[in-house]
Amino acid sequence: MSAVVAQPRRLRVTMKLWAKLILLTVLLLWMIPEIYMVSVALRSPDAAFAPQLFTFPITFDNFITVIRENPLLTFFWNSLVITCGTVAIVLMAASTFAFAASVLKLRGSMLMYTSLLTTLMIPIASIVLPIAIMLKGFGWINSYQGLILPYAALGTPYAIVIIKTFMDDSPRDLFEAALIDGCSRWQLFRHVAIPLIKPAVIFVAVWQFIVTWNEFFLALVVMTDSDYKTVTLVPMQYSGMYMANPGALFAILVIIAVPLLFLYTLVQKYFIAGLLSGAVKG
Amino acid sequence: MNIIAAAAVQDSKKEKGKNRGRTAGSYLYVLPAVVLFVVFVAYPILWVISESLYGKDASHPSGFAGLNHYWQVFQDPVFWRVLLNMFLWAAITIPVQMIVGGTIAYLIERYTSRSKTFFRVMFFLPVITSVSVVSIVWSQLYAPYYGIVQEYAKLIGLQLSMSPLGEPSLAIYALIVVNIWEWTGFSMIMYVAGINNIPNELWDAARIDGAHGWHLTTRFIVPLLSPVTRSLLMLGIIGTLQTFPIVHLMTDGGPDHASEIFGTYIFKEGFVIGDTGYASALSTLVLIIALGLSIVQIVALGARLSPSRRQTV
Repeated sequence: MSAVVAQPRRLRVTMKLWAKLILLTVLLLWMIPEIYMVSVALRSPDAAFAPQLFTFPITFDNFITVIRENPLLTFFWNSLVITCGTVAIVLMAASTFAFAASVLKLRGSMLMYTSLLTTLMIPIASIVLPIAIMLKGFGWINSYQGLILPYAALGTPYAIVIIKTFMDDSPRDLFEAALIDGCSRWQLFRHVAIPLIKPAVIFVAVWQFIVTWNEFFLALVVMTDSDYKTVTLVPMQYSGMYMANPGALFAILVIIAVPLLFLYTLVQKYFIAGLLSGAVKG
Repeated sequence: MNIIAAAAVQDSKKEKGKNRGRTAGSYLYVLPAVVLFVVFVAYPILWVISESLYGKDASHPSGFAGLNHYWQVFQDPVFWRVLLNMFLWAAITIPVQMIVGGTIAYLIERYTSRSKTFFRVMFFLPVITSVSVVSIVWSQLYAPYYGIVQEYAKLIGLQLSMSPLGEPSLAIYALIVVNIWEWTGFSMIMYVAGINNIPNELWDAARIDGAHGWHLTTRFIVPLLSPVTRSLLMLGIIGTLQTFPIVHLMTDGGPDHASEIFGTYIFKEGFVIGDTGYASALSTLVLIIALGLSIVQIVALGARLSPSRRQTV
């Protein structure tokens, strides 16, 4: 009897080993560009063009040079303000809309929801021209609101889909009980709906943060003044300047990439929790 | 936020106990989203459509041009090249990302325990890496003489005298590889969620039925994950139409329009050359394609960006 049980268990252990081996191999290949980025940043100028993944010795000179020569903090500050502003507006606009459509069952909200759905696919490319002209008219070129508001508008529909679905799945009785207890609509939203959809809200916040931080097209068009440039525009600006010195350029790339990677590893627990709780059921 | 709060509270005091949700105050909840949508999405769409009929181009000043701009677009060989490239982009990127991302997710969720978080985070890193960083790193990887892609290609007998990005027949594929590398982590994470949402009873049921190996995969896991697959299909098409930075930064649509896509072509026509009429006609066609595809998907597959629990089980 025990032999019969042991057989599949041993098989399972071997399978696990194989699976991990495959995963590690694929991961190593997958990480080559990231490893290469760090590796070039740590090279001295004479080794910068060597066609190897690693070279020795390593040096931190490139980092010291680029930090001393460039106002990188300004770019981070710009990105941070724009990203946080966008995330805040998206969360506010999407959760109130979802509440009205899902809980209050506002008349006409389903029609609005459907029209939002059909515009989910709209590529930024196709409306970037009118947005740029409009922002120019408002005098919002090279201003924070000039990016925050269009980003918020483009991010809200997806956020609504996620949050509304999550709200639809929440137990109805909770809302009804709260209403019987004499909750106002705002209290219902603030104290019943928001706590219920927290995993979805966290998911949307993290995702919107990543998307906004990395957005390129609109930022390229709106932020022409280098005082207002966001972090994603910086590599382009420096790729010419440090053409002959890839070590310095790659040091900038590392400085740009690392904070977000670090931030993600900090919040990924909540992001994954949001995913697994059904924020995005796929 | 405060205005809405104050108004809603006041409102609810006045008519506590009355029919909820039918009053003007409730519309404050939809107001922010609707205003943003009207100003930054709906109005630009209308502007683009009107400009495509009235806007200027290289040979004509502003004025009613009718369908002239569209006629020009259809006669433009670059437009057809763009369409082909966008098709290739979607047709290669989406299935490859699904298969690779799905396999990785399956291996992680079924066979790892303590290293689960590690793998989930690591495979997701390219998604979080800024696209402009990705573009520059990959341009260097592809570069002749010192790029390590070429160095490793030599080992398997492939030799190129230039970067694949500079080779008209290869450029679009070289870009697609970068795109797949960047976004497979997203498919992986979605499948991770999908696999975890399969109830334990179903796993047990499959095991009792004696399903394992290939049979388990094709008859059981793939169908159960089809909601994820469908939303990845939709998001993949959105992503394809949204593509811009990778191409703009790595080839700028070149060489000689060989890797041109909608984003780069509209950008050139609209911002660099300043043919707003022509760029708007292009934009309108993109909008029509996007709208057509969304309607097809919503009708055929349902709005599967985030299906509800009821649909999944």
